[in-house]
Amino acid sequence: MPTETVYIAAVDATNERAVKKLVKYKNRPFGKPFSVGTTGLEMMKKHVEMNEAAENLYKTFYPGPITIVCQGKHKVSPGIESEIGTLGIFVTDHKLTIDVIKKLGKPITTTSANSSYKPRPFKISNLFKYLSKKQKAYIDLVIDVGEIPFHEASTVIDTTLDDPAVLRQGEIKLKNKVEVLSRSEEATQNTGKELWQKYEKHQGQRAIVFALVGPMGAGKTVFTKGLAKAMGVKEEVVSPTYDLELDYRLPTTNYKLIHIDAWRMSSDSELAELDFAKKITDKSVIAVEWADRVAEEIRKHNEEAIIVWVKIKYLPRRLRLAESRLRRAKGRSRAKAGKDNDRLISWGVI
Amino acid sequence: MKILAIDTSCDETAAAVTEGTKVLSNIIWSQASLHAKFGGIYPSLAKRQHEERIDFVIEKALKSAFPKITNHQSLITNHITAIAVTIGPGLAIALEVGIKKAKELAKKYNKPLIAVNHVEGHTLSVLARSRNSKFQITNYKFPALAFVASGGTTQLILVKEVGVYEIIAQTSDDALGEALDKAARMLGLGYPGGAILEKMARLAKAPAERAHLHDVSSRQAHYNLPVPMIGQENKFKFSYSGLKTAFYKLIELTKKKGLGKQQIYDLAASFQDKAFQHVERMIKKTIEEYPVKEFWFGGGVSANIELRKRIRNICKNQGITMRLPYSKKLCTDNAAMIGVVAYFKAQRKEFVKDFEKIERVPRAKIIDASP
Repeated sequence: MPTETVYIAAVDATNERAVKKLVKYKNRPFGKPFSVGTTGLEMMKKHVEMNEAAENLYKTFYPGPITIVCQGKHKVSPGIESEIGTLGIFVTDHKLTIDVIKKLGKPITTTSANSSYKPRPFKISNLFKYLSKKQKAYIDLVIDVGEIPFHEASTVIDTTLDDPAVLRQGEIKLKNKVEVLSRSEEATQNTGKELWQKYEKHQGQRAIVFALVGPMGAGKTVFTKGLAKAMGVKEEVVSPTYDLELDYRLPTTNYKLIHIDAWRMSSDSELAELDFAKKITDKSVIAVEWADRVAEEIRKHNEEAIIVWVKIKYLPRRLRLAESRLRRAKGRSRAKAGKDNDRLISWGVI
Repeated sequence: MKILAIDTSCDETAAAVTEGTKVLSNIIWSQASLHAKFGGIYPSLAKRQHEERIDFVIEKALKSAFPKITNHQSLITNHITAIAVTIGPGLAIALEVGIKKAKELAKKYNKPLIAVNHVEGHTLSVLARSRNSKFQITNYKFPALAFVASGGTTQLILVKEVGVYEIIAQTSDDALGEALDKAARMLGLGYPGGAILEKMARLAKAPAERAHLHDVSSRQAHYNLPVPMIGQENKFKFSYSGLKTAFYKLIELTKKKGLGKQQIYDLAASFQDKAFQHVERMIKKTIEEYPVKEFWFGGGVSANIELRKRIRNICKNQGITMRLPYSKKLCTDNAAMIGVVAYFKAQRKEFVKDFEKIERVPRAKIIDASP
């Protein structure tokens, strides 16, 4: 049935048989959680513990396509909540969706109707194109309203962490994109260190992917050096271009820093061939250079992993000149102004 | 003693048969023909391609090693003494293919198995001799300094004797071969383009103010680029990331003024010059600190004539013997060098004791290869 963003596969989220059927239909490994749709705050509170962050998000963004991950109360069928008992609640003001949930009186699953890793369906014909005969047989009813106008997928935010993490950025953009000016290799390394300190708390709960984008010589390896140092890696981090992948063990934990270079890769499938999916389920910390070349494969794991896109670019000359002029006007030292080492590093969980 | 050696450490699927340090066959399935198809990007697809090719490459290595023997079935049984395989460093999923195959053959034909470090292969590649050579190289003297420079490695290694090594310097970012390949790529010369870069550099024009310089490539270095780590050679580190950045900017700047053929030649020469000056300075510094009797130069970059020339000059001035692999095929990744290492290991009885315990070591270091 349709929602405002996509066609979904809806089943009664409290019915174990229905959920098992959904897992088979989606071709999904068991244990990967589903988010559920509710009619509003009252029904939400019945199923999850809503902390302050969750309440605030609800107040700020309702109505709008957003999925809030909270600690679940285990009132839904097994297989809906995550392994650690969290539950994603989809909040919507889509009339048909709300009506269906109201009539049923229970939450429904709101996972997109496509099977895992297939395109998200905006019309029924697109959906059926990728379904096997067996999958089609699981469907009991199709509500076809034609093509759904394009909206981005719902924004997914985990509120069970100290600092809410955006797991997927949809139409609602949370302003957590930041940028810094780097004037030296040390500064680029320090950005790597700072970003590690920012995301370190998710280590062990989810895979953390630093997707690095930038032209030749911009400092992608240098950034990873800083990241590795902050993580406690003792070995020298070198360019993985030739080997495609270099792993570094951490002295204190069982986790690894995996350093991948996609520069020599000609397609997304080559990243998949390096067992990228397993690295995600292993909750590794992964730095991928030239991530724009394999963005599709990385984005497949949007829901399970925290993906931080880090863009490094050379500062345009004109901007640099303007800055140095400004600095001169302020009477500061000109020594560093307009130096060739200026780079703008920006990041965000997009 | 004849050894069948296998190397699948990265892109190349390679197999060879060696007898002592003599190379009876050295087969490399090169992916060169595939480059063009992918617009200059070198596809890895490592695991699948190694799996598809390994049987063919091994069979070809055996056949060309024993051209007179027609009964191929019994070749390994009757003529091969041991199987050798690279266990690292390299890409895990690629290494795995070679190791699995070597294990399978060793079990099937009941032959001892020898695990070899790829960098030790490049180090000892200078001791290999051709099938037709009458004399074994026995006059080598220790300590020797080995410089292994390829797409994946840039190391200065002190060779105290065969099997006993100390790493003196290695790269802190890009390998030399990788830097040359990337420079070529930035100039639009494809990948891996280190060899093409060298050709282009030879066509560079000498600016008047440098024409008096003795060294040809320095004379031809038209553009200003920084020599990496200049004055910091005592840190014993190679670094190419700064030079790469400077080169990227230089190209962007030159593009605005017009990037023609001559500019590309001059840029290529300038990059090579600075990249090699870094090597020269490091070698001089190392020889100062560690007096050695010989200098061994292996790895893909050792095929570069210009760098050979520069290093030969240093060795001449210092009265040091310089050794190079006898053919280009022994410079790039190959399995014959693995066979040569295995021969020395077999003499020391370093065989794999438990086949099930042989494992890939993607980040293996040459010092771990010491007994």
